[in-house]
Amino acid sequence: MAEIKLNNLTKRWGDFIGVDDQSLHIKDREFLVLLGPSGCGKTTTMRMIAGLEEPTAGEIWIGDRMVNDDLPKDRDVAMVFQNYGLYPHMTIFDNIAYPLKVRGTDKSEIRPRVEKAAEQVELTEFLHRKPKALSGGQRQRVALARAIVRTPKVFLMDEPLSNLDAKLRVTMRAELKHLSRALQITTVYVTHDQIEAMTLADRVAVMKNGIIQQLGTPDDIYNNPANLFVAGFIGSPAMNLINGSVTDGMFVTTGGTRLVPVKSPDREKAILGVRADDMHVHEAGQGDIDVTIYAFENTGESTLLTVQWGKQRVIARGDRHLRKDQDDVVGISLNQDHLYLFDPETEDRIEM
Amino acid sequence: MTGKQKKQIFGAIQTALILIAMFIMLVPIIWIFLAAFKSHVDVYQLKLFFTPTLENFSVVFDDPYRLGEKLLNSTIVAFVTILFAIPIATLAAYSFSRFSMRGETLMLVTILATQFVPAVVIILPFFVMFRDIGLLDTRLGLILVNLAIVMPFAIWMIKGFIDGIPMDTEEAAMVDGSSRLQVIRNIVLPMAAPGLLTSAIFCFIIAWNEFLFALILTNKDAVTLPIGLGLFKGEEGDLWNLLSAAGIIIMAPMFVLALMIRKYFVQGMTMGAVR
Repeated sequence: MAEIKLNNLTKRWGDFIGVDDQSLHIKDREFLVLLGPSGCGKTTTMRMIAGLEEPTAGEIWIGDRMVNDDLPKDRDVAMVFQNYGLYPHMTIFDNIAYPLKVRGTDKSEIRPRVEKAAEQVELTEFLHRKPKALSGGQRQRVALARAIVRTPKVFLMDEPLSNLDAKLRVTMRAELKHLSRALQITTVYVTHDQIEAMTLADRVAVMKNGIIQQLGTPDDIYNNPANLFVAGFIGSPAMNLINGSVTDGMFVTTGGTRLVPVKSPDREKAILGVRADDMHVHEAGQGDIDVTIYAFENTGESTLLTVQWGKQRVIARGDRHLRKDQDDVVGISLNQDHLYLFDPETEDRIEM
Repeated sequence: MTGKQKKQIFGAIQTALILIAMFIMLVPIIWIFLAAFKSHVDVYQLKLFFTPTLENFSVVFDDPYRLGEKLLNSTIVAFVTILFAIPIATLAAYSFSRFSMRGETLMLVTILATQFVPAVVIILPFFVMFRDIGLLDTRLGLILVNLAIVMPFAIWMIKGFIDGIPMDTEEAAMVDGSSRLQVIRNIVLPMAAPGLLTSAIFCFIIAWNEFLFALILTNKDAVTLPIGLGLFKGEEGDLWNLLSAAGIIIMAPMFVLALMIRKYFVQGMTMGAVR
């Protein structure tokens, strides 16, 4: 049980900046997700917490101890790797028991603890097998069991679900969430999958180019994106970003369509952000604007309409029973309570 | 001609070629094998049918040849060589594989480059040096020379095997609570074990067969098996029956070892080629 504090943490390789002077305070028992595209510094940040990477500058605190100079083994963390990092020459039992054995845990104590961990991840019947004889999902569970067999101060998980197939990923995600609620241990979780971030996190830190773009609850990140990057990264499909300007309190697209009223002083350039769910689809002539359908997709639980809007394409989500075809004309209206305005120069959100 | 017939003809030609190649390669070995069980008189007749005798094998161990001493020398030299070579090479290979050092590539290439120097070029300096420090005609001297010969092979081969161990596995062990040495002992060594065994056998074969240095640097006490073969000269010319018997004694362990490592050897050579 511990909080983690990163103070002005920096990692550079020559001229390349992995993590750029970032500070982050992870609360005790919090599930924090580091989210971002590949190369954004999220894994580097985690590896520095684990002690597998040495920071160029800055401090790492776990609990009330600065761990910069501690070896990984002395930091009392447990980590789940993307490729599981199992020991192929050991049985599942020995894999799970390894953290206990190497730390000199009493022999009589090892068996019950390994069995308990194996039970928590439903591996009991595989304990005598070697990792080679297990499926991907089972190997992932071994990695998890190895992490929870001890009670570390901190869990670190590096894209633990990314090697699993889509269906298994959803199941394991729920199991992870259940497990983390039960264990109540501070967790840092790295992923590029925004759904994992939204579903698992207490708080999400969205990273790009070594800099944390926004830190907040999943709700916060989704409903109040701090800048263009976060707005475009979170949500599926991604938020529609429409170029235009603000004139006389109205957002006007580059094509000259006066679209919606916005509470913002006039500005020459602005980007309007609106999620697919906040674009309502009507019959032609009944919305704010008529558009032509570029592509119509039926996902089963809803329909997605990619529509040509001047030179841009935007995506609207329609009712699951809606049936349209390519080149049909539909009306679109925007939910004016959920519009976002961004400054194209600074990429920051403009409050309105 | 139908396609099937064509295939059959090609198949037959293939088999024939393989048999011819095999015959060419195996003839000397078959000849030696037969000669080892022939009497001196029979050797010079290319008889396939003769009364086999085991006498040659006992003669070579008797005075004046005393092949037993040479066998002991060869065994000690080869074993002690790999006893030192493999642990040292493993540590070197681990460092090359896992740490980035200043001039790492240069060092690796230099290590390999020592193999490109022809032995004849450096054998005289070795002779003079060993004479001055009293290592001539000693097993220790031969062991040192053999170490120098096998180490580059061993380092490069073992490095290949260690490169094949995923970094994740080692890092997991470190986070799980192991020190670097514990990682090497508990994770790297067991995982690289087949590779280490292969390298050890490979080095053993090199040391066992080493001829030139042993020829120049030994004359009586530390003579090894390959040099011992030179003893079988009599008034009546080369004693081919004894030579062959000794030859089989030299080859026998090599056959066994080659069979053992055949699978790993190819794997070791091609490791990292496809990923």
